[in-house]
Amino acid sequence: MKNKYMTAKSVVFIISALIICGCNKINDINVSPNNPPLDKATPEVLFPSAVVSTAGRVGGELDIIGGLWSQYWTQSVAASQFRTIDAYSLTRNDFNGNYTELFSGALPDYQLAISQAKANKQYPFYLMCTVMKAYTYEVLVDLYDKVPYSQAFQGAANLQPKFDDGHTIYKGLLAEIDSALATNYNVALSDADAKTDFIFKGNMDNWRKFANTLKLKMYLRMVNAYPQEAQAGVQSLYTSGADFLDVDAGVNIFSDATNLRNPLYAYEVFNLGAVNLRASKTFTSWLVANSDPRTAIYFGTSSPTAIDQGNYTASQSAEPSYYSATSPKLSATDPVYFLTAAESDFLQAEAAARYGLGNAQASFDAGVQAAFAQYNLTAPTGGVYQYPASADLQTNLRAIIYQKWASYPNSHTLEGFFDQERTGYPEHSSVYSLDPNYVPGEWVYSKNGVTSGKFPKRLVYPEAERSTNSNTPPEVPITTPVWWGLPNN
Amino acid sequence: MLMLLLCIAQAYAQNRKVTGQVTGKDDGQPIPGVSVRVKGTSNGVQTGADGKYIISVPENGVLTFTFLGYAPQEAPANKPIINVILEFNSKQLGEVVVTGLGINKAKRTLGYAQTTVKSAEINLSSPINAMGGLQGKVAGVSISNVSGSPGGSTKVILRGYTSIGGSNQPLYVIDGVPLDNSTNGSDANFDMGNNANDIDPNMIDNISFLKGSAASAIYGSRGSNGVIVITTKKGKTGKPVIDFSTSASIATLGYLYEPQSEFGQGWDARFIPGENGNWGPKYDGVVRPWGAVVNNTQLIRPFSFIKDNVRDGYDNGLELNNNISVSGGTDASTYLISYGNIYSNGILPGDFDKFTRNNFSLRGTTKYKDFSADASLNYIDKNGNFLATGQAPTGISTSFYENMLQIPGNIPIKDLRNYKNLYFNVDDYYTPYAENPFYSLGETGSHSKSDRVYGNIKLDYKFTSWFTLQFQQSADVTNSADKIWYNTNTPTPGSWVGGGNTEGQTRKPDVGGVTEQNFENYEYDSKLQGLFNTKISSAFDFNGLLGVNYNDRGLRNAASSIEGLAIPGFYNLSNSVNPPTAAEAEAHQRLIGFYGQGTLGFKDYLYLTVTGRNDITSTLATGHNSYFYPAANLSYILSQSLDLKGSLLSYAKLRASYGETGSDTGPYSINNVLNSTNVGLGFGNLAFPFQGVPGFTIANTLFDKNLKPERVKDYEVGGEFRFFNDRLGFDLTYYQKTRQDQILSVPIAPSAGYTNKLVNFGAVRDRGVELAFSATPIKSGLVTWDMNYTFTHSQSVVTSLPVGLDKVILGGDGYGALFVAEKNKPLGLFEAPVAAYDPKGHIIVDSQGFPETAAANGIYGNFQHDFVMGWNNNIRVKDFTLGFTFEWDKGGKFYSGTADLAYFVGAAQGTTYNDRNPFIVPNSVQAVTDANGKVTGYTENTTPITEANTDDYYYFNSNKAQAWNYRILDRSFIKLREVSLSYTLPKTWLSAIGAQKASVSVYGRNLYTWLPAGNHYVDPEVSNYGTDLNSEFGEFRTAPPLRFYGASLKVTF
Repeated sequence: MKNKYMTAKSVVFIISALIICGCNKINDINVSPNNPPLDKATPEVLFPSAVVSTAGRVGGELDIIGGLWSQYWTQSVAASQFRTIDAYSLTRNDFNGNYTELFSGALPDYQLAISQAKANKQYPFYLMCTVMKAYTYEVLVDLYDKVPYSQAFQGAANLQPKFDDGHTIYKGLLAEIDSALATNYNVALSDADAKTDFIFKGNMDNWRKFANTLKLKMYLRMVNAYPQEAQAGVQSLYTSGADFLDVDAGVNIFSDATNLRNPLYAYEVFNLGAVNLRASKTFTSWLVANSDPRTAIYFGTSSPTAIDQGNYTASQSAEPSYYSATSPKLSATDPVYFLTAAESDFLQAEAAARYGLGNAQASFDAGVQAAFAQYNLTAPTGGVYQYPASADLQTNLRAIIYQKWASYPNSHTLEGFFDQERTGYPEHSSVYSLDPNYVPGEWVYSKNGVTSGKFPKRLVYPEAERSTNSNTPPEVPITTPVWWGLPNN
Repeated sequence: MLMLLLCIAQAYAQNRKVTGQVTGKDDGQPIPGVSVRVKGTSNGVQTGADGKYIISVPENGVLTFTFLGYAPQEAPANKPIINVILEFNSKQLGEVVVTGLGINKAKRTLGYAQTTVKSAEINLSSPINAMGGLQGKVAGVSISNVSGSPGGSTKVILRGYTSIGGSNQPLYVIDGVPLDNSTNGSDANFDMGNNANDIDPNMIDNISFLKGSAASAIYGSRGSNGVIVITTKKGKTGKPVIDFSTSASIATLGYLYEPQSEFGQGWDARFIPGENGNWGPKYDGVVRPWGAVVNNTQLIRPFSFIKDNVRDGYDNGLELNNNISVSGGTDASTYLISYGNIYSNGILPGDFDKFTRNNFSLRGTTKYKDFSADASLNYIDKNGNFLATGQAPTGISTSFYENMLQIPGNIPIKDLRNYKNLYFNVDDYYTPYAENPFYSLGETGSHSKSDRVYGNIKLDYKFTSWFTLQFQQSADVTNSADKIWYNTNTPTPGSWVGGGNTEGQTRKPDVGGVTEQNFENYEYDSKLQGLFNTKISSAFDFNGLLGVNYNDRGLRNAASSIEGLAIPGFYNLSNSVNPPTAAEAEAHQRLIGFYGQGTLGFKDYLYLTVTGRNDITSTLATGHNSYFYPAANLSYILSQSLDLKGSLLSYAKLRASYGETGSDTGPYSINNVLNSTNVGLGFGNLAFPFQGVPGFTIANTLFDKNLKPERVKDYEVGGEFRFFNDRLGFDLTYYQKTRQDQILSVPIAPSAGYTNKLVNFGAVRDRGVELAFSATPIKSGLVTWDMNYTFTHSQSVVTSLPVGLDKVILGGDGYGALFVAEKNKPLGLFEAPVAAYDPKGHIIVDSQGFPETAAANGIYGNFQHDFVMGWNNNIRVKDFTLGFTFEWDKGGKFYSGTADLAYFVGAAQGTTYNDRNPFIVPNSVQAVTDANGKVTGYTENTTPITEANTDDYYYFNSNKAQAWNYRILDRSFIKLREVSLSYTLPKTWLSAIGAQKASVSVYGRNLYTWLPAGNHYVDPEVSNYGTDLNSEFGEFRTAPPLRFYGASLKVTF
């Protein structure tokens, strides 16, 4: 009997001992086989990821907002997906995804890559990531005005970053670009690393030009709010002999395959069936009035049928042609442009027109030619395609901005919206586009607009930030211009 | 101390040893704590938790068996094994139930509410899963079928929800070991069932519901949401017994939405033959052409509402439930072999919702001297065809239910069934805005197959009369695979759907696709425990256990899919125009628990039980992964203590308990990681690699090494009272359960670089009252009427949120409706846009006459019911028994995606407001603004919603301010859950076929549903958001529920 008890006790003891010894290591299995640990990140994997994140949003849903608000397109009568955008009826609960993806997707990846590249002296990556970070940040500042910058991306260390004003962020970004340009960035990347640069394939001269052009764009954004600073900034670029982009900065990596399609195409055509976006009378009237050969590029026909902006509730009997309105011509393989050669030329033309730096006429012409060359077309001459070379800055500026506006679809439509907010061109029409006195190209107030005749100028902070960050500034109506916007526009 | 006890035990060694087991006659369950004595001596022992005893007896000794609540028995000790069956003399005192870790105890010793249901109740209406027949029958247990598809999931929640981000699922324990309850392959589109539904209900002996921590803490972390303890049948000593049961049911459509019948096809108040809306003119009965123009021909029919149109799109289903088992045994060993077969084909025309299941079970027990073993082995083969619900994957396919909802009331759905016919095919369907639902039925689908083996072996060694050592090892392994396919189609340009309709619209192509997924679930559970059972003195007795438990479980999943089919109708991963995408995921976790429990009884009327358990988990970091939690409960049998026998009060018991449970989190939740980049676009994705370049991004969830376990604190007081010889009784419980330090992924400011952070935070408190009232109004030789009424009120309130957050978004969809938790408010609020009001309370409308949307969302209520009632009756007249069960769930809200689509297409009854004539939004004003756009005042609104804008008025895109008034609906319902009529065949007939007993029944399940006036759309119990808290958000165009009628035959040979 005694032996039996001893045996039992030993069994209990041995099993318990085995289990207890095992306990020390029990959580060794808690290492995810599904995801690499954070410390395995390198600029080589972060940078391309962040670039696609920027392209996916700026060239996707934000491009739809930009395209509707820049009046290239309007909502179709037979569907309803973008009615709230076209009616300027956006609230904090709409389109949280863009803010969230750029802030928690693209930007922290650029930031981590920047700190690693800096630490490891991978200066080409340092410059590439800095330029793309600045580009992405600028979009957010231009859409939301104040956003977190100095305290952003600190994770658990700061869960509620304070908001910095747009001007401070601009200055910070410009300084970051300057720091990156001041390094020994111009070294050849390995073939493998060059592949991770979807934009220039490791051509660092182009990255310098992109950096300079971005700086020029940012300084010119400040002409209303900080005219001296804008001018000084532009002048210093020219005096330092900065060279500007003469190629398109963008990603041309898309293919018609699962999860690899152009983001605008994936969104509107592949997923939503191309039933929403239709040609806006505002844009087509201008294209047709000028017999612009890009009409066929943008809409697949040289005589598109358009819907007047925001008139999506019109019945078929009232506006029978609306039902056969033309869709924008989108392709799964379209590139997403961040800053085109044409835009670079037009920015230089504006710098010349404003400050007498360089040759405005030549830059304008180069811009028009580049804009058409983008589609293998020969640029027309004369009319609106000719630089007015007026003594009046506004006349010149108007010609430049109209050409920029006409060059932005289909991938960086937001720039058209920002340019209008900054310069007032194209002008706001006093009549609706159904009116015989309507001037082609002038922006009309959406037929179903809910903002009492005032055009949208910004987005409101999304609920994703407002409900989690008590530092979020009070809500400002979407019709209030951002800090660099033209007052009373 | 242990050594001392061992020495004392040795002193008894004398004479000859007799062993055996004491079971109850009523249910065959072992009875613990039975006093076994040698007659005329002071030599006595008690049976253990397994009902077994071991005693030394002199030659020619006689054993007496006594247990409170049972008639005493005597047996001559003339063989080495003496098994005894005792019979009740008081049910309340004698009832034995299965408690923590599968251990039997007398129910009177429990200081908490525990409900046990028996096999007969479970299988009354031949449900194909264990919980299907218990709806409305148990207080504090909410059971619902979330989808109407055969083989779909059953949602079971014990008491209210307390976990915001984690699981609220109860732990299923079968014969003492945990059972995997995964829902492999299920998502918002597919409900492929939950694994707990695999158990063959015919093989269940009883189910106990342990609702509070005092009862469930011993199970460890997973017991924190309550435990469902299932005990299966086993063979009984005696000659072979064959049990055979068969049932056949007809499945029909349960609740179906009721469309308006006044306005027909069209839009903007005009008849348009290609429209999917009911926004056309009023029905006038005039014969008109409809549908596509094909070869210059067109169909004609009267422009009138077709009654039962949608119903005609469905067929009746058939469900068969067969089981045969053979069991028997000798004094030493028993066996049971069972085979169960389920065939269920739902109400969709064809085999697109077919489910079959085969259950093979083996169970055997044996004993040899002081050693006994109990083993079971089960194999389940399960096959199901499921149809997608919810919103179809955009760009890939469209959904049957969405397509059904979009058919105007004047188009005969019945005629559309042959989707290859002229006028109804891909090119010539009547509208470019939707597809023929029968195309979706025939050309999309899914198949799920699963093989599962589970079982356990339990070895007992009874060292002495008061100590048994028990080892139990279980395994539960499931391999399942599912395949989902969607065909491809492109409307021919120029055809009616390809742009030839009067509006010139073209339907986008369906590119189609195939997804293949494989899952492997495994769970191994080992348990070593010592059971103690002793009578300390004449007044005190003690039983207890000490144990250690090791649990290892995990999941492996691999999934591949293609988008776009090269050859239409060929569903294989090779058949793609695109490269396949593939993903894999694994999860593996371990837990070691040490536990102990002791019950001290005093004079058969006062019992104190104390429990403690310490878990060590693999999922938390060292320093936080070992945690202890205690529980205690007290039971006082008032009637026994005061000896109230003979008074009106036949039984009275008071009970009180307090318990805590610690709970860990899922694996891989403490270290920050990278993700292979997949950028969500809103619609569509960008996924790496691009051009052979990989991309990785910082994962959006910020993990935390300092996570600590969640803790549930739970107390409960209650009482059980019976009057008039048990003819009337009630059982009342008040409880409060608080889950603290919840591990939840909370949204954080995206500008911090992450979207979510895993945190421990505050608490959700669930308080409730449960009442069970039972009565036997009639009891005579001829007629017996038993009824049982249950009332449950529970409310879960969020008592704290992470610092800096005023709300946590739990989920939501519904185009902008959110499901949120806010501090000091009931859990699960519906938040959605609301109208803006002027200071005087008038709705502000915009220049178009549409209400303006307020800057911030408003609250539309929460999901929780005010109360849930069940009323269950059993009326026996001679050999006939009639049973019926009603359930009334009152109050609460839910979001309906069915209502949303019904409003969009003008099928909703609410859309006939004002006969669709122009109207001004009642009580509305327009803002007056100055030159700067500043609001200076308000004037009465005179801008009407025009007839052509009526549709926009009800749509969320154009009337965001009010749309959710029509989409967030009252959750109340009254259901006739079950009706059954059984006839027990007379013995005289049975002897002719050699049977011992037999009964035939006719029954119905989910027979009738009453919904409140505002809900013409959907049964509020259905959901395609899973079976946890998120499912309470509501539904998004899911399958209608089913109603069953059937008959069954049960024979025992």
